[in-house]
Amino acid sequence: MCSLAAKASEAMRLGDFKEAIELLKRLVKQDPLPRWRDMLADAYAGRARSLAAKGMFDEAETALNKTAVADGTVREPLLYVQCLAKRGQLGKAFQHAVKYIGTDKVPAASAARMAELTAALWLVAPVRVDAQADPSSELGQWAQSAAAAQQSLAAWVEGKPAHEIEPLLSRIPMRSAFRPLRLILKSLITAPTDPARARQLLDGIGRQSPFACWREAVAAALPGEAQEPPTNATPPSRAQCLFAAEVKGLPAGGSQLLAEFVKAERSGAAALMTFLTSHAAALPATEAKSACFNLLPRAPDRLRQVESTFGSLAEFDRARILALAAEAANDWERAEEQWCVAAKATERSADPESRLMAGVIYRHVAGLAETHPEIAGEGTSPSIDYLEGSLRADPDHIPAVLKLIGLYRTEGQDKDWHRLAEDAAQRFPQQSAILLQAVDSAIARKAYKKAVGFARRILALDPINQAVRQRMIELQISHARRQARSKRADLAWKELANAAEWERPDAPSARLCVNQGLVAWELGNAADAEARLRRGVELAGGGVVGWFCASVEHARMKGGAASGAVLRAELVRAQKAVAPSKEEILSVALGMSDGEITEASKEIAPLVFRIRGWLLQGASLAWSAAEIHPVCEMLRLAGAYDLLADYARLALLRTPDDATWKLYRVMARVKGDAERLSVREEDELMDLVEDAEARQDFHTANRIERFLDSVPDFPKGAASHSARRGPSAKGIGSVDDIEEGFISQLLAVSLEETPPEMVERLVAKLGRERAISAVLERLRRTPVGELFPVENIRRVAEEMVNSICGKTSKSVA
Amino acid sequence: MSDPFSTLGVGEDADDDQIKQRYLSLVRLFPPDREPERFQAYRAAYEALSDQRKRLETKVLGTRDAALGRIKSHLLAPSKPVCARASKTTVTALLIDGIDRACGQDGTA
Repeated sequence: MCSLAAKASEAMRLGDFKEAIELLKRLVKQDPLPRWRDMLADAYAGRARSLAAKGMFDEAETALNKTAVADGTVREPLLYVQCLAKRGQLGKAFQHAVKYIGTDKVPAASAARMAELTAALWLVAPVRVDAQADPSSELGQWAQSAAAAQQSLAAWVEGKPAHEIEPLLSRIPMRSAFRPLRLILKSLITAPTDPARARQLLDGIGRQSPFACWREAVAAALPGEAQEPPTNATPPSRAQCLFAAEVKGLPAGGSQLLAEFVKAERSGAAALMTFLTSHAAALPATEAKSACFNLLPRAPDRLRQVESTFGSLAEFDRARILALAAEAANDWERAEEQWCVAAKATERSADPESRLMAGVIYRHVAGLAETHPEIAGEGTSPSIDYLEGSLRADPDHIPAVLKLIGLYRTEGQDKDWHRLAEDAAQRFPQQSAILLQAVDSAIARKAYKKAVGFARRILALDPINQAVRQRMIELQISHARRQARSKRADLAWKELANAAEWERPDAPSARLCVNQGLVAWELGNAADAEARLRRGVELAGGGVVGWFCASVEHARMKGGAASGAVLRAELVRAQKAVAPSKEEILSVALGMSDGEITEASKEIAPLVFRIRGWLLQGASLAWSAAEIHPVCEMLRLAGAYDLLADYARLALLRTPDDATWKLYRVMARVKGDAERLSVREEDELMDLVEDAEARQDFHTANRIERFLDSVPDFPKGAASHSARRGPSAKGIGSVDDIEEGFISQLLAVSLEETPPEMVERLVAKLGRERAISAVLERLRRTPVGELFPVENIRRVAEEMVNSICGKTSKSVA
Repeated sequence: MSDPFSTLGVGEDADDDQIKQRYLSLVRLFPPDREPERFQAYRAAYEALSDQRKRLETKVLGTRDAALGRIKSHLLAPSKPVCARASKTTVTALLIDGIDRACGQDGTA
């Protein structure tokens, strides 16, 4: 029972009310406790809300009926009344709504809306409210307000003068639900003498009120301009137009035209254009023409009709309309063609605004080209073509310049990238974003002095631009590193001093401080060196993280043995001091993910082995799949596959089905080399890809695919998985079915897993027979083991052990 | 987004200054703390018209209903003050429209 209740609660929490209802019905049947009944009613109310949100008011009403109690009230009274009203049962809606007057059964949040809805329903279909009600009760007071409202409305409709309506209105309390009616009628009788006051009175009616349509109709009919422009693009309803015509006493012809206009507007763009063109003489010519131009993209087949009424369109206007129409029809080739015609038409003009317009169009087409491959352009990259066109027309548009620089960079058009970055820096000397691009361009082409010049200009504009400071510090550290590697510690020191100029006193750079310490060591200033080094280590996070960072810098610089010994000793001491935390391991891993460090992986990899024990302790921490990627990448980069295997093994004990951990387990097994994957492992990974794709976990799917695709000679992509699966164990009839080369490759890989030294150790430790079993077990886990029958593998294991035993006996002899 | 010219209530030939003045006056009338949704609509419209290039983008790449709105105003032109009365049927129709709209506004019904 508890399980049913828990499941029902979970279903409610997830919004699966249908399931919750089924579970709770069973629960109530088993044990009709009031709390289960209560929960069931909640579930029905939830179901009703979701049904009503889909427009299924009939079904929502049925669901709410199930929550009804003895007096007929339901769980969500406002929703129930709304459902009835939506279904056109206004009388029934009122009869239900009136039950709640004077009760506290309507939640406070919806009480005001419920009250106004009840009032509006009563005005539409007035019925006699319980006459027995005590006049001092809430229902009695409501009935009095309702009567006053009805009398006021009747007096206004009958055309009675304002002084007769005023006393009736004053009988409607301002706190009653009929307040909107009082405000509207007051506004209408005030309008002839004080339109501004009339408009102000209408502001007291909310946009969600059932009186809002009437309020809008009054507002539209009032003379003078509204303070607030109409934000709601919904055209006035027929009733609103009719109201305006009636209260203003419009002539029949005008009213007829208005009615036709409203009808046409509701029928769509084509009908509206027919109306505008056929009544062009009665309408303001400019507005009618402009309205038609704006409607044409939605009905381009009316182009001729519009041209015959208002004259031929200019080339630009015609092309623009056709381009917008083509976009609406998803005809991207035609859209491109028409936009180009429009842009060329404006480009020819000497008017500066026309050139800006051409720029707008080209940028728009460049944007479309990013998402619609049908847009071809004239060169190799349509986005680049059109952005270039936009800059020819409008060279001062900075976002387009930045975007084009970015595209040149990503597309590998280095010459264009550098040219545009340089030109832009000249053209926009006050724009930090442009100057930052110029810095990057200068660094990329090794124009160091230029980069410094641009960086200084950025800092003059924006003294706290940390990005440019960091970039310059990194650049100079990199120079210093090169000097230090060439044993020119003096020049390296100078470079680091230059780098220090970019540093902000309140944001010191750990890496700079560490490098200064290391170079000072090479210059023989050990005391200063150690002080700087320790400060740098502290800035880098202290402990293992800080000393590891210092060791990485030392390795990259190829620092001396003396400083290396200190670093090694400190790193050992730091590891003993405290157990690792996830944050510390992640800091180490993220430090290793720097692009330059990745390139220097050969120098850095041994450092990971220095903190091996510390990292091993971290394997037992409860890592999530998202956290672990940088750590696993670091281990992969360092070739620490045994550690990677430990991390994956312990994680799989916690979450046995996690695809990420399974990937890393396989990756560790094949030492990061996808070429060494056995058929079974490939199958396992491809199954993981399929599972990940099925649950829309595309990150994991891509990660696994990237690993699989790192096999150079295999077809790429998920679609070709089956192609790469190669000869599967199931499909092999005999060993002869497999190519000899393939067998050799597999043997080589498999035997690498069990080198002779290992076999020798196994024989010494376990004896011949048990060593054969152990070797057999190892070989069975290799690609060969998965392909061949166990008898064949056993023969290979026996041969391997025999050859070692033979060697051993010979040496003993 | 709906036509930003109509939202702000400015003409298509309004310049930077006119647009800014209109936007500021609307924000004063409907401050964000009291009318957050309206403020957002005005802000978005102002962003779309705040400089010449953006206005051109709005004009060239979009379609606008401002002219239709002006035609509607023309048809409703206040040739006479609001002194006549509407029929009970029209008022009832307006209330029914209002009830229908109010019942479908909160995303539930």
